[in-house]
Amino acid sequence: MAYHLTQLLTKSVERFPEKTAVWARGKTLSYRELEERSNQLAHLFRERGVKKGDRVGLYFPKSIESLACMLGVMKAGGVYVPLDPAQPASRIGYIISNCAMKGLVTTLDRLKALAHADTRTVEFSVLTEAEAAGAENGTIPTGPAGPSGGGDVIPWNSVSGLPVSRPPADFQPTTTDLAYILYTSGSTGRPKGVMLSHANALTFIEWCAEEFRIRPDDRLTGHAPLHFDLSVFDVYNTLEAGATLYMIPDDALLFPATLGKFLEAKEISVTYCVPSALVHLVLHGSLASRDLHHLRTILFAGEVFPMKYLKQLAGMIPHVELYNLYGPTETNVCTWYRVDRARLPQMERLPIGRACANTEVFAVNDRDERVTTPGETGELYVRGPAVTPGYWGDAEKTAKMVVPNRFQPHFDEKAYRTGDLVTLREDGDYDFIGRRDNQIKSRGYRIELGEIEAAILSHPGVREAAAIALPDDEVGNRIKAVVAPHNGDPITALDLQQHCASRVPRYMIPELVELRESLPKTSTGKIDRVRLVAESGAARS
Amino acid sequence: MPETAKDQIRQFVTDIAQRKGLDVVTDDESLTSNGVIDSLGIFKLVSFLEDTFRLKVADDEITNESFESINQIDRFVAGKLEKKPA
Repeated sequence: MAYHLTQLLTKSVERFPEKTAVWARGKTLSYRELEERSNQLAHLFRERGVKKGDRVGLYFPKSIESLACMLGVMKAGGVYVPLDPAQPASRIGYIISNCAMKGLVTTLDRLKALAHADTRTVEFSVLTEAEAAGAENGTIPTGPAGPSGGGDVIPWNSVSGLPVSRPPADFQPTTTDLAYILYTSGSTGRPKGVMLSHANALTFIEWCAEEFRIRPDDRLTGHAPLHFDLSVFDVYNTLEAGATLYMIPDDALLFPATLGKFLEAKEISVTYCVPSALVHLVLHGSLASRDLHHLRTILFAGEVFPMKYLKQLAGMIPHVELYNLYGPTETNVCTWYRVDRARLPQMERLPIGRACANTEVFAVNDRDERVTTPGETGELYVRGPAVTPGYWGDAEKTAKMVVPNRFQPHFDEKAYRTGDLVTLREDGDYDFIGRRDNQIKSRGYRIELGEIEAAILSHPGVREAAAIALPDDEVGNRIKAVVAPHNGDPITALDLQQHCASRVPRYMIPELVELRESLPKTSTGKIDRVRLVAESGAARS
Repeated sequence: MPETAKDQIRQFVTDIAQRKGLDVVTDDESLTSNGVIDSLGIFKLVSFLEDTFRLKVADDEITNESFESINQIDRFVAGKLEKKPA
């Protein structure tokens, strides 16, 4: 049994050295090539001072190099931090300094975009292979960077000549070492880094391998971005099984008909994505004209799948097994539900199901008791080896969310408070009811409305602001901001959207901005969000 | 001077780009790789074309080849309008 994620690769290299491990943008790496490339990168990172537990950021579009870098960092004992290649440089800069990143793998234009960000901790930046051609003919400046940071700039081909056969062997890996950090939206306006250990990831991967029987002849998709935890399934279940991962090209992520063709052409058998991507596939994917007989399993997670579209999807692909997976980044997936096709036509709500293997979940009601009666609602808690050790550099936040399990008095252990309200069903499954706080999902992205509000409030012309979520069948939620400017400030909706664009990812920019003289308040003087949502609903209909 | 189809398309695309804090886009720039058009925006654009030019876009036609840039969208619309019965 593997205790370190890199062992999943080692095992498959022995069985299938020449088999394709990953395909992206028409390029491939065999298992042997992936092993060799990641060994070389591990030596490069070690030469550059990466030691056990050091953070290395991966800041470039998804490619075959992504996998080699993830594995290379872990083989050097480091912790990789996947960064959204489309995020504003200011947010990336915050993440770099927050986790005191030692190295970066990136592209030249992104490195330049970070010129004004705080990258003082970064000692080296490796440019990706796509840039290698430029470095050879001298158009890329390599060597020590300027005072703005980014450290020494190293071309990709520096790995050539480094040992291919084995990674550095000068440290003792354990399963509780950190493997990667995933940054998610934070309610106070700053993203927070969820730390995940090898044990955390492997708990999930081993359950998947068993439950979904991923085989060497399977072809999986890489749909989710690598900074999103759905991709953990794609990458590591592929490696675990000795299967092949097909990174979905950008145009297929955008155009549903192109995605349908891609699934057919690449003979994809297992795919995992957010429901809104599947809704677009149902509505615009021309699935009826596609031959998808290779497809056997669709997994989805990240948001609630609207029943009417799930029923349509099930009807279009009657041979495919459908699974609803649930879990915050802090636990990866913790519950699951296999869609029962016989019952589906009568179902009004899709359960999140029950706990995955090696994980326990329970709901805690307002009286601080475990929920045992069907029909009762409580906050979902998760315990077991899948639970994160906490948030990087934030002991306070960690103590609030990863709490002592007071229902187990015999030894110290932690449980994660999801903040999600669930109801226990008669059959033992759970239904998701909603959130305790202001976190929402839009197109599967986890968004803290507080982070959007903080971005808007940082505009000097803004006096009050509230970000609200308007429920929507296609995308989960649409984001609206209601803003009261300072008296006489000529601020416009467009100003505010552009202001947000330099601070938050694009998917967090409010689609609608309404300007008002003041915001409605509750009797306790807080902004009345319930009323704002109700008024926005009425205005739309 | 009456607005051409391309002017109307450019105006619509520029509005989206501005709301995302992106620079002015040129007519042959890739809207899909610079993030102007995302998975939600593409269907807003299709609805806009259908309403403005009174045409019907089939799902199979919503591809990178037809929608990558302002120039390509304009050619796509022109092609649709030519084929449309008077």
